[in-house]
Amino acid sequence: MTQTAENRILASPLAKRLAAEQSVDLSSIKGSGPHGRIVKADLAKSPSAPRVTHTPASLPAGEDVVKIPNNNIKKIVAQRLQESKQTVPHFYLTIECRIDALLGARKAINDAANGAYKISVNDFIIKACANALMAYPKANVSWTDEAILQYAHADISVAVSTENGLITPIVRQAENKGMRQISDEVKDLAGRAREGKLMPEEFQGGTFTVSNLGMYGIKEFGAIINPPQACILAVGAGEQKPFVEDGEVKIGTFMTCTLSVDHRAVDGAIGAEYLQVLKQYLENPVSMLV
Amino acid sequence: MTEQKFDIIIVGGGPGGYVAAIRSAQLGMKVALVESQHLGGICLNWGCIPTKALLRCSEINHLFNHADEFGFKVSGLEFNFKKIIERSRGVAKQLSGGVQHLLKKNKVTVFDGFGKLAGKGKLSVEKDGKKIADLGSPHIILATGARARALPELEPDGKLIWSYKEAMTPEALPKSLLVVGSGAIGIEFASFYRNMGAEVTVIEVLDRILPVEDEDISVFARKQFEKQGMKIITSAKVTKLDKGKDNVTAHIEAGGKTEKASFDRVIMAVGIVGNTEDIGLEKTKVKVDRGHIVTNEWSQTDEPGVFAIGDVTGPPWLAHKASHEGVICVERIKGLNDVHPLDVTNIPGCTYCMPQVASVGLTEKAAKKKGHKVKVGKFPFMANGKAIAMGEPEGLVKTIFDAKTGELLGAHMIGAEVTELIQGYVIAKTLETTEAELVHTVFPHPTLSEMMHESVLDAYGKVIHF
Ligand SMILES: Cc1cc2nc3c(=O)[nH]c(=O)nc-3n(C[C@H](O)[C@H](O)[C@H](O)COP(=O)(O)OP(=O)(O)OC[C@H]3O[C@@H](n4cnc5c(N)ncnc54)[C@H](O)[C@@H]3O)c2cc1C
Repeated sequence: MTQTAENRILASPLAKRLAAEQSVDLSSIKGSGPHGRIVKADLAKSPSAPRVTHTPASLPAGEDVVKIPNNNIKKIVAQRLQESKQTVPHFYLTIECRIDALLGARKAINDAANGAYKISVNDFIIKACANALMAYPKANVSWTDEAILQYAHADISVAVSTENGLITPIVRQAENKGMRQISDEVKDLAGRAREGKLMPEEFQGGTFTVSNLGMYGIKEFGAIINPPQACILAVGAGEQKPFVEDGEVKIGTFMTCTLSVDHRAVDGAIGAEYLQVLKQYLENPVSMLV
Repeated sequence: MTEQKFDIIIVGGGPGGYVAAIRSAQLGMKVALVESQHLGGICLNWGCIPTKALLRCSEINHLFNHADEFGFKVSGLEFNFKKIIERSRGVAKQLSGGVQHLLKKNKVTVFDGFGKLAGKGKLSVEKDGKKIADLGSPHIILATGARARALPELEPDGKLIWSYKEAMTPEALPKSLLVVGSGAIGIEFASFYRNMGAEVTVIEVLDRILPVEDEDISVFARKQFEKQGMKIITSAKVTKLDKGKDNVTAHIEAGGKTEKASFDRVIMAVGIVGNTEDIGLEKTKVKVDRGHIVTNEWSQTDEPGVFAIGDVTGPPWLAHKASHEGVICVERIKGLNDVHPLDVTNIPGCTYCMPQVASVGLTEKAAKKKGHKVKVGKFPFMANGKAIAMGEPEGLVKTIFDAKTGELLGAHMIGAEVTELIQGYVIAKTLETTEAELVHTVFPHPTLSEMMHESVLDAYGKVIHF
């Protein structure tokens, strides 16, 4: 990216105009001019430069095409995702966690509840993320030009898919909440999210997001950061597979987690250390009691 | 002879070579510069500079002759032609001395002799047929320049038929003069001699004078020159020159007919060929195409370690092109970041005749040929306050934009001081400005430069004063 300290993209007037005309995102182009300035030739060089997906004028039209109008949520989410992917320098870290102990604990808790409540794997993950953020606060941050903002609490946004689009209600101060409270809150928030009845403060804010597609059998994926947050955890499905321990082949249940990270705020090593802490909580859920 | 080792060797001390030498020294290299004649090359000694000194005198003569238009009465006006020539030589000498001083200051080792490639990374230097030094370096830059092209049957003899050297050092003003070729060099001499009072005829084989300029400029220039009493014959060819005792009879072929006409002197200005002979190219992979060394965008020849810059590499034959190529070449050799190849469409060309001509970028025809849909703006000097106040109401500023992107493709000017004005468009073009930035630029009033603004406004249908 060709940006000065003030985040100004250096580009010649002609390059700027050509980029606008061709819907090319200047921030995705490396400038070859003096001091890395983007010049006309750089645009010519990258015909495959990432394009901003404005509605192209030449979309297929006719009777075979059904128009599904976009509601406001869809439009806002689309815009924010696009902005995030274009302006936030993402990188991705993937780790595998063995969750046999977690599944065992879940079963024990749910058996004891006798139907009064039912904790999900995702509730465990939310709690583990929150505790790990408290243990390792360098990942609980946001980037601004002046400073990196580090948060005192783990407000975990939980990605919920609704008919109207993606929405991320927040479990505030999840580090201070028990598993049952987290579970109840998520159920309530997700339910009201689907009905479109959330209050703005219930989905605006948050310091870290969890997105789980494990229930669809997705093994692993990389999520788009939810700005101004710096990290989002993408959780895949638990899968049984053989592994070797103490020279013996055993069967275990493994879950893949991928952390998308805003490199401006969180470096590779910090992201990696955070994942190690998280893995420890997920693999030894009793430690969350400490 | 023991070989003297350098980081870089430059052959030729013209604006290509000496500038490359100074830049190399600035970058901490140990530099050798080999020059067989005079530092400063053609430009300082036989080109740009002495001709401008002469043209200054013809401008002054022109002004004196039009003094009454400004309310002056001048009587008994005379000029000392010998002194005019001496002044021009003095200016050249002064500047050549300046170059010597600059090279010394930058600790460039100058060898006074003729350089010749002598094997990989080696150059021998000869003076009066004797070897005076063996030099070695991984980088050798050839900046040997160019000379006037000679046509068979029309070779200059230095007395009656001149090349540019004799044309700038005549003993007396000829009464009648034939200039063969209407490029920048031919037209400058034609303008000088005409404004000094000689009868001047210009013959051009193509259908217009100043053939590399935009057609509108060629047409405008021709009208002005003819108004000044110059005779111009285009689509014509001089096939033979019969030398008399103190005159020359030219056979001029035009429209299928050949006519004879007699002139005191003839100036041959029919192009340039590179100095590629006797410099040891035969034993290298260096390619020569139609008299010029072939190079890539970084001035590399096909022989590793051998580079070429300036006039010897072909058009545009301009001093500032030579210097710029030299700087880019050595910065690239040094491995600096942020070095970019020269974009020829950003190199301005100037002709210092009266009225002056200056341009940069594509002509209207060339732009259309390249497939651009264009927007063209034109503004005449006649509509500019400063031009009228100065008594210079003849001229034109033409700009060419890409209709779709607003890219400034070319600018073409004729009129007083346009050679000083063109840099405004050159900066704009180099910075890749569009019409928008030019429209929003505030030009000072009253100046000739306001026409540069108005021309842009005209291209976009917003011209104010015309
Ligand atoms: C009459 C006239 C007017 C001109 N007016 C202008 C103008 O107004 N503006 C403009 O930009 N350009 C002008 N030019 C063109 C300009 O002079 C050239 O473009 C410029 O000089 C090229 O520079 P160069 O360094 O490539 O070569 P040159 O200036 O030709 O220098 C080459 C040098 O190398 C030396 N040399 C050659 N071979 C050897 C060798 N083997 N060993 C050692 N030394 C060697 C020569 O003696 C010479 O000094 C004019 C030219 C002429 C003839």
